[in-house]
Amino acid sequence: MDILFIEDDAIETMKFQRTLSKLNSKHKLIEARNGEEALEFLQSEKKLPDVILLDLNMPRMNGIEFLGKLKQHDKIKYLPTVVLTTSENRDDLLECYKIGIAGYIIKPLKYEDYEAKLKTVLEYWSINELVKA
Amino acid sequence: MANNEVELLTRALERQRKARVQAEKILEAKSKELYDLTKHLRHANSKLENLLDEKGDDMDAAFLNIIDPYVVMDLNFNVLRTNHSAKEFLGVDYTEESINLSDFVHPDFAQYTAESIQSLLKVGVLRNYRAKIILKDGSEKFVQINSSLIYDHEGKPMAAQGIIRDITQEKEIESLLSEQRKELDVIVENSPLGIVLMVEGQIVKSNTAMQNMLGYSHEELKQIKLKDITANEDMAKSESYLKEMKLGKLDHFILNKSYIKKDGTKFLAKTSVSAVRTTEGEIEYQVAIVEDITEHRQLELQKEQLLKQLRASNKELQEYAHIVSHDLKSPLRSISALASWLAEDYADVLDGNGVNQLQMMQEKIEGMDKLIDGILTYSSIDKKTNEDTEVDVNQVISEIREIIFIPDHVNVVIMDTLPTLMADKTKIHQLFQNLISNAVVHIRKKDGLVKIHGHETSTHWQFSISDNGIGIPKEYHEKIFKVFQSLETSEQSTGIGLSIVKKIVDLYEGEIWLDSEEGKGTTFHFTLKKQLL
Repeated sequence: MDILFIEDDAIETMKFQRTLSKLNSKHKLIEARNGEEALEFLQSEKKLPDVILLDLNMPRMNGIEFLGKLKQHDKIKYLPTVVLTTSENRDDLLECYKIGIAGYIIKPLKYEDYEAKLKTVLEYWSINELVKA
Repeated sequence: MANNEVELLTRALERQRKARVQAEKILEAKSKELYDLTKHLRHANSKLENLLDEKGDDMDAAFLNIIDPYVVMDLNFNVLRTNHSAKEFLGVDYTEESINLSDFVHPDFAQYTAESIQSLLKVGVLRNYRAKIILKDGSEKFVQINSSLIYDHEGKPMAAQGIIRDITQEKEIESLLSEQRKELDVIVENSPLGIVLMVEGQIVKSNTAMQNMLGYSHEELKQIKLKDITANEDMAKSESYLKEMKLGKLDHFILNKSYIKKDGTKFLAKTSVSAVRTTEGEIEYQVAIVEDITEHRQLELQKEQLLKQLRASNKELQEYAHIVSHDLKSPLRSISALASWLAEDYADVLDGNGVNQLQMMQEKIEGMDKLIDGILTYSSIDKKTNEDTEVDVNQVISEIREIIFIPDHVNVVIMDTLPTLMADKTKIHQLFQNLISNAVVHIRKKDGLVKIHGHETSTHWQFSISDNGIGIPKEYHEKIFKVFQSLETSEQSTGIGLSIVKKIVDLYEGEIWLDSEEGKGTTFHFTLKKQLL
């Protein structure tokens, strides 16, 4: 499974890498440090990811702006996007679901809890039929 | 002289003599006729006089029988005769004691009475004499008297007769009416609202407030046309309402419109117009009540502005709280992750002390995370995010029992059947959860017991949560509701729980207080206002 991981924080990225490596899975990780970088990748000729994991609070283009842009492109608007955030703001949650997301995960405080949550998310998407465009 | 001539003259003389005799005869007859006529007339006259006297007696009898009191008095006010009704009314019988009518006149009317009698003597009649009299029993009556003189044979006045009407009640009503009128005038004149009475669209009466508002005098207002005092832009609206009123489609309307003062300046006023109709439905009067709302409108605009600003700054604050909480929580997550990786990746090289310190670090991080959550919750309480729904407090308690950690030695018991409230469920949840967690945490006894009571007062729901825990010293009873005030330094307590509780209770216009004895336990009481629920 190809995963586009959009996150500006280096330690958050480390957390996800560590989680992936512990799973011993064959998932391929594509990293983007903000929404612009991610869009650039998605609009290039490169192979599209199967799942997008998206942080909301990022500099330049934030997660919600990225979601809005994503939905404007016919080719990529179907990509399942799971929000991964520290924000418990209900307005953010509602806005994301309104635009269209495949999940909304709150980052827990403890790393062990994070690992457990992300493991579940990845397992879930692994057993899904994906677009594979 | 010719014979013929003599003959003629003699015949003429003869004729004249005969005519004279004839005339004397006629004269004599006429004289006799005249004498007879005179005699006859004299007889008839005396007959007539008798007739007239009899008639006078008849009239007397008629007066005596009328319902209104009838009195005959001499010119010194001594009563000569009364009818039955007068006897009743005056309360004295002239056949038993002598009555002088001047004794009855109320002192206030002495002068008026004297003048009236003068007028009666001069003119012969007195109409509509009105005065107060005092009866024998001391009661006062208002009377109206119509009176005329009675003359003797020589034409000199000898007495006066009068019909009395008791107008006491009439007078009372009159004075009552004038009193009410006066009262009404006082109200109208002192009203801060402009009041005008109109007939066919023309002002006929206005009060001081109206005159002051428009700057016109009462007389000027009577001449004024609607368009003189109505701003152009409001004229059409005004006229269309008045037209509908005239057509009978409308009896009352309220209109906010701009008035033009005499000095040309304008003011905004709420105008309420009512039609007073005749029984046929035609408009008799229109009453308009005018209230200057310029200031009111300005205040309203100001209020709107302030509310808008407040709403904006509240929203900003809310967003700010979320951003701050996110920005504080993110690094906490990173630190936590790094600390756990240190412990995991360097387990071989860390001694017991190192492991312990990393563990303490995690606890501090956890405490700080809770604190951030608490502040966020506290700052979100004013916000009416969720709709009020039916909240069964019994259900809320059982949900809380599942969420929070309750040690085995503690029992949480609902003592009464708790009510169902109309409220924001999240807030009610936060309220009870904070109080119950506090109660549960502070029990050191072997058999811990947390009791929840609830009952209804006329205005509020009242609840209490008691524990048999360590108790709270008296000096802290006020302090504990303030933000960040915690009685102990522990990772369990952020010091924000009771502040949240207090804020929610305030939001629902209730009170919170506590009874506590150190070593025995604490009871928190709080109320939530009913109509808001």
